Amino acid sequence: MAAELRLMIPTKESVEPDDRQLVQTIRNGEPEAFETLVRRKTSKVYSLCYRIIGNAEDAKDISQLVFIKLWENLGKYDPAYAFDTWLYRMVTNVAIDFMRNKQSRENAVNSNLRLVKTVTDAEQAVIVQRKEIENVFNAVSSVLSPKQKTIFVMREMDDLPSAEIARILGCRESTVRNHLFNARKLMQQQLKKRFPEYSRLWKERT
Amino acid sequence: MITCGAFRSRLQPGSQDAEVLEHLRNCDACLDHALRVDPDNFFRAIGGEEMEPPGGVDAFASGVMDQIRMRQTEGSVARRFLIAPRRLAAAAGIVVAIGMLFVASQTSFKSVPPPRAAAVQPAQLATKPVVETYDSKDATIVEVPADGKNDPQVVMIFDESLPADL
Repeated sequence: MAAELRLMIPTKESVEPDDRQLVQTIRNGEPEAFETLVRRKTSKVYSLCYRIIGNAEDAKDISQLVFIKLWENLGKYDPAYAFDTWLYRMVTNVAIDFMRNKQSRENAVNSNLRLVKTVTDAEQAVIVQRKEIENVFNAVSSVLSPKQKTIFVMREMDDLPSAEIARILGCRESTVRNHLFNARKLMQQQLKKRFPEYSRLWKERT
Repeated sequence: MITCGAFRSRLQPGSQDAEVLEHLRNCDACLDHALRVDPDNFFRAIGGEEMEPPGGVDAFASGVMDQIRMRQTEGSVARRFLIAPRRLAAAAGIVVAIGMLFVASQTSFKSVPPPRAAAVQPAQLATKPVVETYDSKDATIVEVPADGKNDPQVVMIFDESLPADL
């Protein structure tokens, strides 16, 4: 009985501090707690960066930059707000800046990423492979603005509600919905043009 | 994860059901069906999953911490060099600036060409004719008496008809 009771009592090791507590610990002068925060948030930050940027190495570099910025700006975090919202805002700002610079350099390259398939190909049965969807997404999303792509990724792939995306980006929910609508429309046009075999799947939405 | 049957019965266009989305992202057999129900599931199917950076989370976290430590070291070294001797550096800067201003002003002063003395031409000395004898009815001749025997004899001639430069 005593052993059972002992198991039920949370030990110091078993109680994980939440994000706010961890930030407070770092602010109180325990910088090693920051490594715990980095480990906890790495997958979230890297996944979002990877989907926005579409390249593993760039996504890794940008994620590192995000954590360094996080360290430098931790004093500005207001615990009244959700830590993840604040972190996502940092991720989207850094990723959008990177995309803007990259887009201006590589616009011409992206347009030649894939040749248009023939009508015969388009009429063939579609066997969808996940890896292929990822390639298609990387190709067609190149026409989106960095902000449109970021919103599309957060909504459709990270399943964040529009209200939360609006909080992260510091804009109105209607703006998020507008960007999402335009992003879907542009990607549909690109699918028709460059991947007709998949465009049949994409119905018109009004 | 829910079964394929449950997924197909619960799947609706624009579904945000977490279990449905989890199945969508993990079951290849149901993917075609999901796309027929809602083509927007096309890109939704590649979401959800949390990825790890190349090399894994541990290596990534160590890399981040190394970078932060490096920046902290750079920052503290920079502070040590900057904070204490800041005033000295500022004073040295002011001295250098004043020195440079002085040198610049000297250079600009020297660079102004001095007024050309050559412009003032020395007067050409012309040898005037020595008048040894003079005789005229209109002239008034005054002899200045000499003090000594060796003094030259000065004679003043007042004559309207003489040239002006004589």
